[in-house]
Amino acid sequence: MAKIRTRTFFRKGVWEENPVFRQILGICSALAVTNLMTNTLIMGLGLIFVTAMSSATVSALRKITPERTRMMVQVLIIASYVMMVDIFLKAYLPDISEALGPYVGLIITNCIIMGRCEGFARNNPVWPAFLDGVASGVGYALVLLVIATVRELLGFGTLFGMHVMPSGWVPWTIMIMAPAGFFMLALFIWVAYELEYKKTQPSHGDK
Amino acid sequence: MTQKTGGPTRKRFLVQPVMLRVVVGLIPCLVGAVVFFGLRPLVVIGVVLATGILAEAAFTLRQGKPVTSAVLVSCLIYALSLPPTVPLWIAAVGIAFGIVFGKMAFGGFGYNIYNPAMVGRCFVYISFPLALTAGWVHPFSSLGQGLTSWLPPVDAVTAATPLRVIHEGQSVPLLPLIWGNISGSMGETSAVLIALGGAYILYKKAAPWRLAIGCLLGAFLASSIFYIMRIPRIPHPLTFMMAGSLLFGAFFVVTEPISGPKTKPAQWIYGTAIGALTIVLRRWSNFPEGIMFSVLFMNTFVPLLDRAVQNAQKRRALKGNPS
Repeated sequence: MAKIRTRTFFRKGVWEENPVFRQILGICSALAVTNLMTNTLIMGLGLIFVTAMSSATVSALRKITPERTRMMVQVLIIASYVMMVDIFLKAYLPDISEALGPYVGLIITNCIIMGRCEGFARNNPVWPAFLDGVASGVGYALVLLVIATVRELLGFGTLFGMHVMPSGWVPWTIMIMAPAGFFMLALFIWVAYELEYKKTQPSHGDK
Repeated sequence: MTQKTGGPTRKRFLVQPVMLRVVVGLIPCLVGAVVFFGLRPLVVIGVVLATGILAEAAFTLRQGKPVTSAVLVSCLIYALSLPPTVPLWIAAVGIAFGIVFGKMAFGGFGYNIYNPAMVGRCFVYISFPLALTAGWVHPFSSLGQGLTSWLPPVDAVTAATPLRVIHEGQSVPLLPLIWGNISGSMGETSAVLIALGGAYILYKKAAPWRLAIGCLLGAFLASSIFYIMRIPRIPHPLTFMMAGSLLFGAFFVVTEPISGPKTKPAQWIYGTAIGALTIVLRRWSNFPEGIMFSVLFMNTFVPLLDRAVQNAQKRRALKGNPS
């Protein structure tokens, strides 16, 4: 029972209600941090942590949180987790913290987290809320990683900083600039919708 | 070349006379490219045409729509705007991007906001600045040599284009600019050949003449004003207009009917703004040429311009009627 529910959470978070290409949330960071896979991975992990923990906390406090001030309470909870991530990165991964710049701090304004707190955690027990947060975060991180793979591969010829392209590789300068973030995100959404369209229209394909 | 690539898909190929006339208008430039830079331009154009048509076909055939002849124009304009030494794969990437993101993403022929050829060129220009700006070569000095050779001697690979020379504050002679005896993109070097093709498409009404004339006028006005104001690194207006791809752009890029405005006043505004903006970009931006950016920039405002003109006309009609 519990296992099936876990699977539903993840199916929803990663595909059916994926925050990035379904709900078009968290776009700023998706555009900004996806030019290097390492940065993207760290950002994704940070977001998973914040989303999961704040969902769980909001859910745990849901009965004693007054309806009127709940937004403020949520923001405070999210902000404290974001601070944790930020301080952790500054202490242990200073290079990446530098590269991510303000975007770690800006996780707090990431609509995904607020959306999960408001839309799910507020009315549900702790464990489902936690799972829901993890699933949404994973959905976000996966999309970003796919985009970052293409951008880093074409823009630098590397993956996680390791050279994978042949030595004569000409880097595609535009891929590491912001416009490529837009192209790749648009392309990703396009392809994802196309796949979904095919799935929902069985008569379309021939079996 | 166009017939050969268009042949196999004839049934699924929409013949648009207007677009084919533009193709005919581009032939002088094409011949010029071969005469000046050898046989390699033909191969580049072939690769670009094949990639562009395949990219469009990948979308249209699935939707049961034909491939339009507009893609031939986009491909040719894009190919002729590249340097003759461009690596073939870069040429292919650019046109694929231009067609897919500049045209098919917006819904195919008739719906594109931006000029697909310029989208593709912009993409490769920013992505591979070295391959696209260091690869200029001097054309052959004697006529007819190009018909039998592959490329001009490689030792001339770093020949600076006239615009680059101007950008660095030196002056260039006017006469080679007119005949095309200069380094530059494949199709844009000879003012005479461009004017020949341009005159043909304007005469055949394949392109709105207001756009072409407006663009030249805007460029002339802007460069004259700057010249009279004695701003440094602004050469004589005539030299400035003959150099680079301004002429080519004015006749073949600015006049692209889909991404350009439809109402007459908007066409004038659009054309002159592109011309003037090109001069400004040439002088003050980091890039020596500005027509590509100014076309893309003004493409953005086309719906706005058209609507503003229509609204103004409506208002004038309303005001005129009751009184």
